Amino acid sequence: MAEKFDHLEEHLEKFVENIRQLGIIVSDFQPSSQAGLSQKLNFIVTGLQDIDKCRQQLHDITVPLEVFEYIDQGRNPQLYTKECLERALAKNEQVKGKIDTMKKFKSLLIQELSKVFPEDMAKYRSIRGEDHPPS
Amino acid sequence: MENFTALFGAQTDPPPPPSALGFGPGKPPPPPPPPPGGGPGTAPPSTATSAPVGADKSTAGSGPFYLMRELPGSTELTGSTNLITHYNLEQAYNKFCGKKVKEKLSNFLPDLPGMIDLPGSHDNSSLRSLIEKPPILGGSFNPITGTMLSGFRLHTGPLPEQCRLMHIQPPKKKNKHKHKQSRTQDPVPPETPSDSDHKKKKKKKEEDPERKRKKKEKKKKKNRHSPDHPGMGSSQASSSSSLR
Repeated sequence: MAEKFDHLEEHLEKFVENIRQLGIIVSDFQPSSQAGLSQKLNFIVTGLQDIDKCRQQLHDITVPLEVFEYIDQGRNPQLYTKECLERALAKNEQVKGKIDTMKKFKSLLIQELSKVFPEDMAKYRSIRGEDHPPS
Repeated sequence: MENFTALFGAQTDPPPPPSALGFGPGKPPPPPPPPPGGGPGTAPPSTATSAPVGADKSTAGSGPFYLMRELPGSTELTGSTNLITHYNLEQAYNKFCGKKVKEKLSNFLPDLPGMIDLPGSHDNSSLRSLIEKPPILGGSFNPITGTMLSGFRLHTGPLPEQCRLMHIQPPKKKNKHKHKQSRTQDPVPPETPSDSDHKKKKKKKEEDPERKRKKKEKKKKKNRHSPDHPGMGSSQASSSSSLR
């Protein structure tokens, strides 16, 4: 799995470097640098071909659209991962709190119902397989 | 009046249980209110035998309790367990939430040239626009041949200033540069780091005599202002120099 990404990363890095060098050539163009420019242009074509080949290996990769928003705003996409993990943990704790509260409520309800309807609750416990009333 | 009784008669039929929604039997149907003149359907539903049609199979043999459902199994994964631990994500959690993640995109991609911290909407380079207006695809990438290359003949000389702005890099710290070199594993000549260290040392050496001179002057001034306590000034100076 990681090899696919390494492969793409390598090609992207090469491509970016070629673009940077092309920018340098173009920024102060001299007649002698025409050969270099032509070579760089063809490097860019082959770089695009290499990146396009990587597409076949990565068709099953899904990326959340929110990550693109982070990148478009010039923000670190790792912040998205961080916020996702924090949100997941907060929600997890919230649900745990609800479950614990409901468990407490159930035990209190059974306790109080046992006082008012002792026979019915004894039957209920026998159906549920609970011999002892919950404390 | 006839209309009212007709409507009421229709209401006496209990509505079908919402079991089709997938929530089980749910609430019991409310007992029909007694009609003013009595009539069929006035008897309240008996407890044990009047389980609704859509009730669970577990209601069979549940005694006086109708609408009883089987309790969810304890093996079911719920929010009561720590799901981050369950899915072995503690390492990722500690990595991203344990320390402060740097805000800027250039901290994530330190090797990328250009001002990448600016919003993509400024220079129309956003990834969102790539999705909304996808480029025209279909053709393959073919190398540029000799005749086509003749179209890429440029004028000699530097670019105009407004175009040169594209190559301005965001200011980077020296330690980041070092990190970048180690990450990309570029073949770096061994002299470069030592050279830079040497330069730093040289700078320090050059600065040091000036600092000493300034300190001496300060000392002299202090001694002039407080002739009663010459020892204090010297001790303070020595302590400050030791701190530095």
